[in-house]
Amino acid sequence: MNKTVEISQKKNIVLIENLQMVYRIGKIGVPALRGADLTVKEGELVAIMGPSGCGKSTLLHLMGGLLRPSSGRIHIEGVDIGASSDYVRTEFRRRRIGFVFQGYNLLPTLTARGNIELARSIYGNDRREETSVQQILTLLGLHDKMDHKPSELSGGEQQRVAIARAVINNPSLLLADEPTGNLDSENTKKVLEILKKLNQEYGQTIIMITHDPEVASIGRIVEMRDGRVLNRFQNSYYATEENRL
Amino acid sequence: MHKLVFSNLIQRPARTVISVIAVALGVALLLVSLGLSYGQLADTAERTKGMGGDFILQPSDASLLFALNSGSLPVRLRGVIEKVEGIRSATPVLAKFLGDKFHLVFGIDKESFLRVNTNLRFTDGEIFQVPEQAIIDTVYARQWRLSVGDPLELLGHEFVVSGIFRAGTGARVLLPLATLQELNGTPGKATMFFVRAKDKLSSGDALASLKAKFKNYKITESAALQELMMDNTPVFKQFITTMVVISVVISFLIILLAMYSSIIERTRDIGILKSLGASKAYIVQLILRESLLICAAGVVLGFILTYIAIQLVSAAFPNLPVIITGFWRITAALMALLGGSFGALYPAIKASQMDPVKALGYE
Repeated sequence: MNKTVEISQKKNIVLIENLQMVYRIGKIGVPALRGADLTVKEGELVAIMGPSGCGKSTLLHLMGGLLRPSSGRIHIEGVDIGASSDYVRTEFRRRRIGFVFQGYNLLPTLTARGNIELARSIYGNDRREETSVQQILTLLGLHDKMDHKPSELSGGEQQRVAIARAVINNPSLLLADEPTGNLDSENTKKVLEILKKLNQEYGQTIIMITHDPEVASIGRIVEMRDGRVLNRFQNSYYATEENRL
Repeated sequence: MHKLVFSNLIQRPARTVISVIAVALGVALLLVSLGLSYGQLADTAERTKGMGGDFILQPSDASLLFALNSGSLPVRLRGVIEKVEGIRSATPVLAKFLGDKFHLVFGIDKESFLRVNTNLRFTDGEIFQVPEQAIIDTVYARQWRLSVGDPLELLGHEFVVSGIFRAGTGARVLLPLATLQELNGTPGKATMFFVRAKDKLSSGDALASLKAKFKNYKITESAALQELMMDNTPVFKQFITTMVVISVVISFLIILLAMYSSIIERTRDIGILKSLGASKAYIVQLILRESLLICAAGVVLGFILTYIAIQLVSAAFPNLPVIITGFWRITAALMALLGGSFGALYPAIKASQMDPVKALGYE
């Protein structure tokens, strides 16, 4: 079956409607989102692009339940996380979301293995399908770096550990905030290959923010401007073969 | 979580070590000061009991800390006491605290004392035979390196050591009563009487008779002496309370400071934990576990420091008893853990309530 058709038949994992977010700085309200709409289907890889300050990160944080919107709907896997309590959003984040950040955000005191095990321990012990830490580090080419601390790893290696940590609990949605923003071209390529592999081989739904059109080209590109999503339905999944890395 | 707790503590070794030492000092301070004061009281009580007799008769306003009392009872009262039904014998004792040597001496009437006390055992020499002789206990002899026949200067008067008795009987130095009365300027007076009942089984009746006869006097059962001394010693309870509070406050402040600075430094880490789905309870637990670990290490180190301090005190002052009971050890440990937990609570709650997005953006 054609991948585009296959994706279009899948259920919506993200459904965002008229999402608004206003940050309060003292008595002043600073709008970050002004009615954003977005739909992402299960198994999709979506790249959000747009100029700085257009609301990309805010949108990502809202999808991850790190923020609560001022108004609008934000459903992830049918859960209205915008209207959920802090407790529910935390639980939701633990069970269904994986985060990858531009600055890697690994805990500096733990080794690569420790960082990944931490995500597992936060998840809890009631998991049925367990992916071993060793398995995932091997998959990401880090089997010989397990006992290294972040300060002993290169940027690319740290980002791969961060990806391993994000997917160790098999999240429904992987959110990546400029995952290649701090990497050189070689490491960017490695990280993108991993994201593609996770998406294509393991069906991982990924939404990432990027400024790099080449990076964005591995998925459906969604553009944002002034707190709104411009081309919500424009790009099809893996629009063209030549865009793939 | 254990790995994270350990790694966080190891990552900042200076802060961790200083916090552990501070908690340890709090624990050691509490145990040593209590051990010294409790030991002193318990030892005094034990040695007073060792004077023999079942009761102690004192003026109504007298303290069980004999150093605080003067000699105000007439020695002739002995005859009246011995006539009370159920009483076998009584002996007057004049207590005098020597400020320059920081210990008590007792003046005893040899004949009546030996009727009341049946425990006096000499390791060398014998009881004084003339007014210028003194007897000392084994601890005093060891501390001052005295032997029988050695001169001993007390109250500006030179005595000769006539005997050394096994420690555990009254004061460490016993002098002839008449000599001490004269040196003290209280001829014919005693501080208290040690009274022996005819029969242990009927000592309750004897006590009742004694109380009936001496209504305006303070009569204490020797068996209850230790407990009474703890309860009635001026400011002892307040002292204990103060020491406990100081110990708790030290732990509280040190842990509060250490954990507060720690969470500020680790704001980004807390943001990361939140992004991973760590609940508020998880973060509170993490901070509390770290503080409990610091406190537990502090308690262990505190016990070690206490042991070292006691050894040093015992070496320097052999006659200074230090008694640290299991109860006090447990109390000191609990106080340190409690203080530490409370100290960590505010930083822990503050950390758990951090905005994850702001925390992730913290530089």
